[in-house]
Amino acid sequence: MKLLTHNLLSSHVRGVGPRGFPLRLQATEVRISPVEFNPDFVARMIPKVEWAALLEAADTLHLVEVPKEPIQGYEHDERFLRKMHHVLLEVDVLEGTLQCPESGRLFPISRGIPNMLLSDEETET
Amino acid sequence: MAAVPGGRRSGPAAGARFFCTAGRGLEPFLMREVRSRLAATQVEYISGKVFFTTCSDLNMLKKLKSAERLFLLIKKQLPFNVSSVSKGKIFNEMQRLTNDDPESWLNAISIWKNLLELNAKKVKLSQKNANPLKRKVGENDIIAKKLKTAEMQEIQENKECQVEKQIEEETLEQGNFTTKRDKSQEELQNDVAEAVDTHNQNDLTFRVSCRCSGAIAKTFTAQEAGRVIGIALMKQFGWKADLRNPNVEIFIHLSDIYCVVGIPVFRVPLASRAYIKTAGLRSTIAWAMASLAEIKAGAVVLDPMCGLGTILVEAAKEWPDVYYVGADVSDSQLLGACDNLKAAGLKDKIELLKVSVIELPLPSESVDTIISDIPFGKKFKLGKDIKHIIQEMERVLRVGGTIVLLLSEDHHRRLKGCEESSVPLNSKGSRTDKPGSTERLNPEEKAAISQPASSSFAASNQECLDGMPPFGSLVPVECYRVSLGKTDALIYKYKKSHSPGQ
Repeated sequence: MKLLTHNLLSSHVRGVGPRGFPLRLQATEVRISPVEFNPDFVARMIPKVEWAALLEAADTLHLVEVPKEPIQGYEHDERFLRKMHHVLLEVDVLEGTLQCPESGRLFPISRGIPNMLLSDEETET
Repeated sequence: MAAVPGGRRSGPAAGARFFCTAGRGLEPFLMREVRSRLAATQVEYISGKVFFTTCSDLNMLKKLKSAERLFLLIKKQLPFNVSSVSKGKIFNEMQRLTNDDPESWLNAISIWKNLLELNAKKVKLSQKNANPLKRKVGENDIIAKKLKTAEMQEIQENKECQVEKQIEEETLEQGNFTTKRDKSQEELQNDVAEAVDTHNQNDLTFRVSCRCSGAIAKTFTAQEAGRVIGIALMKQFGWKADLRNPNVEIFIHLSDIYCVVGIPVFRVPLASRAYIKTAGLRSTIAWAMASLAEIKAGAVVLDPMCGLGTILVEAAKEWPDVYYVGADVSDSQLLGACDNLKAAGLKDKIELLKVSVIELPLPSESVDTIISDIPFGKKFKLGKDIKHIIQEMERVLRVGGTIVLLLSEDHHRRLKGCEESSVPLNSKGSRTDKPGSTERLNPEEKAAISQPASSSFAASNQECLDGMPPFGSLVPVECYRVSLGKTDALIYKYKKSHSPGQ
């Protein structure tokens, strides 16, 4: 699971609503997998990023050099885009958990795939 | 009718006339595709086939995604008059296919050779520059798999008596038969070169693959027809028959509506993708769905029931600068999808989640595009859930976003809200019985034997759309009926018009 994906995921436990975001990330195995740098694509993803969630996740993984916010004219700032590219796309959480901030429900991540299935009791009727 | 413009020497530069076979219902997609990808002109279709003129080279032609197979057109004409009682008369007509207009045959052969020559040169050039280390380990497996599919198809064709002129009383041993197919795509290049070396057309070796359908199939078999045409070709041009490894294959389809002759341009069908390891949904349909989805660079695209990931792979190959997410509830499907993504080199582009489609762990209005093949059949009991599924999709889709779904007839009826026991639309199976045909028809062949496409696609699409009410904020905008082989399905495109509750 990339941090870009973490940035999109939200807990869907019954009754949690918007307070299910962001999920708390715990990682036991992280791999840095090189991904071809595509500045245009990264620039297009920047406006979608929830920065607080990204910074929190980056912090738990002890990532350094994570931009604190989008800078002016980032579309043409290769240094900035490369950093964002690394954080969003190259950091791959293979094993770990995601935790619902509201209900405390844990979702396992195994082999890079988060398991977000709920049991019957947790779902809405 | 389908004369190639220009004289004998007209290469691809002058534009050559081609046709593709397509699964039934995919013709409009293929027509759009040849226009946009190949700048094709004079685009026309009959059920199961699309004809067009283009100057594109083999590399460009190979990129076609909605076609089954590609042929260089030799001729297309009205069907033989089978009402005449005498078989001999019809055979005479067949011979006239080659005798009346030898120019169109020679012309097509020379265009075909030019195409291959041009390609051989380009391959040589690119091989000089290519980095051999770029090949991935998995690639061999994929090719092996591909060949298997190709073999299977060939064997099946054979079973269905749609192949092979048998001038010599040879029966093909299975062993020989498969070795013929036992070629990797690189070796295929050598073949191409070999074929090109045969400059003198008298040395040309050929094989006829004939397919008969409709009334004509009741009068004689494909082998008989193939033999007559094969002998006529030998007499007319002095070519030699070679069933095992011919320079050129001549493909003939005789039906009630038309009579088409062409040369298959590639051995492997365009629809069997080199980059797909294990096929789920048919690749052509997956691509067609993605082509409707208006995927833009930087978009978030979700397939919430991704299965083996075929739709996402087809989409990511064509529209790379996109963030793709695939979800499924099944571990085995997700593992398969994971393998497929690795084999296709798309592990970086597509993220997988184990998620239920009716409880997507995504904020409302966070996704730009949803594309999904909604499962149906006995294996999947989603029938009643179809409304829940689409409701959840509606929630996560942003306003102005697009949903493209593949729906079964059953789903379609449920969405329409009427449970009337309508006549099954797929009543063709009973009519297509013909001597020497088996029950198992692939979409290509089904398309080929279906009735003339009398109603325009636009009209039938409108019909589908008329009965379809909006689903909450989702407004149906396009609909296509496509064949999945045994059954039909509908490709539905929705747009989200507004935020619900506003």
